[in-house]
This record gives sequence, structure tokens and C-alpha cells, in this order.
Amino acid sequence: MNTIAIILVIGLVVFTIVLSIFSRRFTRTTADFYLAGRKVGPFSNASAISGDYLSAASFLGVAGAVYASGLDGVWYAAGFAGGFMLVVLFIASPLRRFGEYTVADFAFGRFGSHRIRLITVLAVLLTSLFYMAPQMFGAGTTWQVLVGKGILGMDAYTSGVVVVGAIIAFYVAVGGMKGTTLNQIFQFWWLMFAMLMVVFFAFGNGFNYPNALADASEQPIVNTKQLTAAELTAVNPETGKTFYDDAATIMTPEEMAVVDEFIESGAEGKVPVALPSSNKLHELRDMLFTEPGHRYNAFDQFSMVLALVLGTAGLPHILNRYYTNPSGSAARRSTFWVLVFIGVFYIAAPIVGVAGIGIIRDFLADGGTLNAPTVHGLLVKPDQLMPTLGEILGGQWLMGVVSAGAFAAMFSTVGGLLIAAASAIGHDVYEKYVNPNASEAQRVVVGKISVLGFAAVAMLIGLAIPYFGLDQAYPALIAMMVTWAFSVGASAFVPMLLTGIWWKDTTERGATAGMLVGLIGSISIIFLNILQQLGTIGKDGLLGFVGSLTYPVLFTFPLGVLTIIIVSKLDGQLPKNVDRIWMRIHGTASERYEKQYGLDKVGSMFAKHE
Amino acid sequence: MGDARLHVISTVTGDDTHVRHGDHMDTIESVDVVFKAQRKLSFSYGAVFFAVTLAIPAASVWWESWYAVPIWGGFTANYLFVALVYYVFLWTMAWTYSKQADRLDDRLMHMAADMVVADAARAHDEPGEGEQR
Repeated sequence: MNTIAIILVIGLVVFTIVLSIFSRRFTRTTADFYLAGRKVGPFSNASAISGDYLSAASFLGVAGAVYASGLDGVWYAAGFAGGFMLVVLFIASPLRRFGEYTVADFAFGRFGSHRIRLITVLAVLLTSLFYMAPQMFGAGTTWQVLVGKGILGMDAYTSGVVVVGAIIAFYVAVGGMKGTTLNQIFQFWWLMFAMLMVVFFAFGNGFNYPNALADASEQPIVNTKQLTAAELTAVNPETGKTFYDDAATIMTPEEMAVVDEFIESGAEGKVPVALPSSNKLHELRDMLFTEPGHRYNAFDQFSMVLALVLGTAGLPHILNRYYTNPSGSAARRSTFWVLVFIGVFYIAAPIVGVAGIGIIRDFLADGGTLNAPTVHGLLVKPDQLMPTLGEILGGQWLMGVVSAGAFAAMFSTVGGLLIAAASAIGHDVYEKYVNPNASEAQRVVVGKISVLGFAAVAMLIGLAIPYFGLDQAYPALIAMMVTWAFSVGASAFVPMLLTGIWWKDTTERGATAGMLVGLIGSISIIFLNILQQLGTIGKDGLLGFVGSLTYPVLFTFPLGVLTIIIVSKLDGQLPKNVDRIWMRIHGTASERYEKQYGLDKVGSMFAKHE
Repeated sequence: MGDARLHVISTVTGDDTHVRHGDHMDTIESVDVVFKAQRKLSFSYGAVFFAVTLAIPAASVWWESWYAVPIWGGFTANYLFVALVYYVFLWTMAWTYSKQADRLDDRLMHMAADMVVADAARAHDEPGEGEQR
């Protein structure tokens, strides 16, 4: 890791902590701790939501996915952005009008049952853990790449997980939602700055988008992989060929000589090789960069899009942010600005992916050397594209800006997840069931303890990922795990939210059944997929088919909605005060009142309570 | 109290037929009008959004001119839409929807207020036919 990058990352950490300590003076009540006093304006809230949303998967993963897979990688960006349309059209305004603190509060207020509130809490925690796991994994691997060594007797990966987890837990516990909001605003703009700087430097280096795409599509996409000698020489019974044979069709004689030398030496470890790609969508066509099919077959083209689009509306840490808006209209405006901000970001990320192909190839051809492993003019690990391109284009300074951006991405997302989890434990469980008479001070303390406890669980999961070999089972684990979180959220929450807001006849039993079906169904399919990847279950039979579903949303979302409709129709037991609830979700008297007295105007997040 | 929202909530009164926030009131009838208009707007936009979003992978599967023919440098129509045009579509949708929803809110707020006033006047004029609200 270079000195400038170290200084910039430490500067980011110090600034984050100072902001949290500054915010602490204004965090006195639970509304402050969980909702920043409901005074966050559309522009600030949009920046914070964008910071919350753009994780390591977006900052490092999208550009890497485009670099490795072309058009199928671009879909990550488009799908992540498209999800907010669902939020603005169906959820943002009604959720805010309903008020409350959390998604579990909505479930309780809408359906009037403690059972559904507790199930929602469980779903919030599980979704948050699914989202937290890849962030912690990203923390460990980024530390490995940027720092390269461990501290306090820990290895590099463990150091990354522990240090990043501890810093975020500290600043969230100290600053609450106000501190987290301020940090997310700052972190988002740092991410945007870093991404745009790489793009500007690429264009300054002579990059031409249409021409670069044409160049990238002249030859089929080349896959990169690191393999052991045994893996290289094992014969695939289906094709009768080895990976070595495949590599020989792509790599130059000089490059193959390195592979030969590795095999003959009998050395342990892995050697990077370049392999031919295949088109999963149009099997008879070459797999060109600008065409679909590198990652997804026809079924996955649809299910992946739906998973990303529906999943955004099911992320509890994003939904919680809508309660911080001062009005329903402001919630819509926030979402519009989110779409603008992340749209610009997601237009830029694929540009970096395309630019990386020519720039890195030319840099290596001119005799340049990189810290990241390469083969055949390509990075072996596409997730290393952003810092690598930063170093080539802007030297240590730009690499430092990008490195700090990677940590900012993790900080902002994990911070939002910790607040969501703390709300679920501290607000939904402690305040409602354990100690309903708790003082404000006690409630805030419990919120902070929840943050620390959940951070500890997240760190353990981060450490467990390599222990169970998941990082070896999935080549692009960060992006895959993020999509799992989207799938769980889309299956568990979105059917309940959509029907709860837009179908008055939804009953508590229907919503509960739909949530359970979506939650259990999606998690079961994900675990079957994991077991299949680890080789524990086969690919035959019904279990094998279900386990092969990469994205369960295509089945679990409609199943959840259908369950809610059928059970509600059979049940017919509407809440006794359903009309009053309906007036609360869709009524406007509250907003007329706020308008009359100017209460819909954004106040200062830093107003002190009397 | 420093939190405006808490102040608003503290003034709420009503029952299953109406909710009052200070001088402003919602009745279930007026809210039903608001809900139906909002539902029509949201679901119309939702239908366009999903039709366009799912048309992209559909064209990727079945329309060769869409995914395989370069139209600008290396850009195919498919790549150009997913990497650039889709965002313009999203921004336009979100902007026009938000503006329309705001205008709808304003119109319905007045309509709801008028309905409440009319109900109150009718109840006052015809005290024998119904309870005063």
C-alpha cells in the first residue's frame, strides 16, 4: 500500500469519527438516534440514501463485472438503479405518510399483530446479515489488496474485517442516525468524486467510448482464472479436454511457457491462465463484449433483472431512510435525486470497465508492471480494476482517492445496515416488549448496544466466509452475496409492503403467511445453491433443480404475493380499524396541517432539544 | 417540542370514519378518492416501467438486430440502452411521476377539504337525517 493511500484512508477514518462525535451532541432521543429527527431534506437524504446503497459491490464490483463480462456486467448497474423506480412509484410516499420508525412498525401498524412485527424483525435481521456479509468480506479482501499484511497478530483478511467492523460500529454507536446520515452524505460524494476522477482521467488518456467498445468486441471475451496444476491437467469427462488445452488456444507460446514451468516445478499454489468463453444465451455465437450471454442464460436474464429491481424495495436499511423525510412529497423528491445521483454513478462505472480493457492491455504491452496479478493482458481478479486503473492513470494520488473510496463504500453501507439492525432490536423488540417504560436515555443506550452486538455478529460472519470455503465456491462472491440479500428482501418484504399499501383486503394472516413463504423460500433456495456449489448436493432431481436457481426471486416473489392474496381471501379477517389505517396511509389531512403551519419544511438536523 | 412530526401526531383525533389533524380532516370517502387516483397514477407508471425493463432482456433473447448489430462505434442498441438510455428513461419517469403525484396531492387535498366542508354543511342543513360530524 502506498503512503498517500494510507494517509487518505486514515484521513477518511478520522473525519468519519469527528463527524460522529460532532453529531453526538444532537442525538438525545430515539427519533434522533434512529431517524435523525425526521428533518433530513430531499437533497441530503438522497445523498445519504445513495451512500447507504452504493456498497463495495457497486464501487469495486460493477466496473469489474463489466470488465470481465461486458454487457451482462452492465446489467448490475442498470438493475441496481432501476430498483428505485419501484420505490418512488409504490412505496416512498405511503411509507412516509404512515410515519413510525421501522418496517416492523409498519407491519404492526398496518396489520395490528405482534406476531407479524416479530417476524418482520427476524426478516430485517436476516436480510441485513445477508447484505452485511459481502461488505465484511469486501473489507477483508480490500485490506489484503491495499495493505497486504495483518496487525496485532491477525492475518491481513482478519485485520480488514475487524478494523473496518470496529470503526463502523464505533461511529454508528456514537453518532446514531444523524452521524450516520452526515457520514453517508460525505462518503457518497467521495465515492462519486473517485469514480468520476477515474473516468475523467481515462478520457484525458484518449479513451473513446464507442471506439473502445468496438475494439473490445473484435475478439471474443477471454476468461481469467487461477488454477492448481491438478486442476489444469484434469480431463473434463464431458469435453475430453483439460483447462491446459483450453488455455493453449488463447495464450501465446511465451505465456504458456510460464504455465509449463509452473506445472513441471510441482509447486503448490495456483497459476493464472486465460481461457475461452462461451455464450450462455446464444450458444452458436461467439461471446462478444457488447452482446448478452457471458453470465446469464435466457432464464437468468429475466430473473436477475427482477431480483435487482424488486430487491431494492426490500432492503430495510434503505426503507428506514424514508422515515427521515419530512413529508411524503419530500420522500418522492428524495427518490428522484437518488436516481439522478446513482444514475450518474452507474453510467460512469461501466465506462471504467470498458476503459480498463485497453488501458491495462496497453500499459502491460509497454512493459509496465502491476501489483495485481495479470495474464494475457488482463487482470486475474476483476474487482481490482478500480485501484489498478487509478494507479495507472493518476499515480499514487488517484489510487489513494480510489482506495479511500472503497473504504467509504463499505463504511456507508455497513453503517446503514447497523442502524437498521439496531432499530429492529432496540426499537422493535426492546422498546415494545422488553421494557416499554424505558426512558429515552435507556432506549438510546440499548440502540447503541444493539449496534455493537450486531457488528460483532457481522464480523464473525465475515471471518466464517473463507473458513467454510465460500470464497472458493463462487468466483464473484461479493456481487453474488449482494444479490442474495436483494432476493431475500424482495421475497420477504416487498409482497407484504405492496399489498399492505395498495390492497385494503390484505389480512394479517395473509401478510404473515406471505412473508414467511418469501423469507423461508428464498433462504432455502440460496442455501441449496450454496450446498450445490460446495458439492454437498448433486444437480439431479427436484432438489438439484431448485439448488441450481441462482436468483430465487422469479419464484419466491410471485409465490409470496399469491400466498398473501389466497390466505387473505380465505381468512377475510380485516383489522377492526382498517379504515383508520387506510386514512393514515393514504390520507392528506396531516400534510395539509403541516403545510398550513410550515411544518413540512426541512429543519436543521442540528437543532437542540429543549 | 422540537420535533414537528411529534407535534402533529399529538393533535390527531378521530375514529374509524374520520381523522382530524388540527383544523384538517380526512374522511374515509375523501381518502378513497385520493387512493384511487394515486393508485391509477402509480400503476400506470409501474406498467410502463416493467414493460420497458422486461422488454430489454426479451429483446436480448429474441431480436438479433437489437443485441448483435453495432449502431454507433461498438455500441449495439442493446448496450447503448442498458448503459446510457435506460437512465434517461428512469430520470424522465421519476421526474414526471413526482410532479404529477405532487399536483395530484394538491388537487386531492383541496377536493378532500371541499368534501369535508360539503359533508359538514349538509349535516348542518339536514340535522334530522344524520349525525353531525
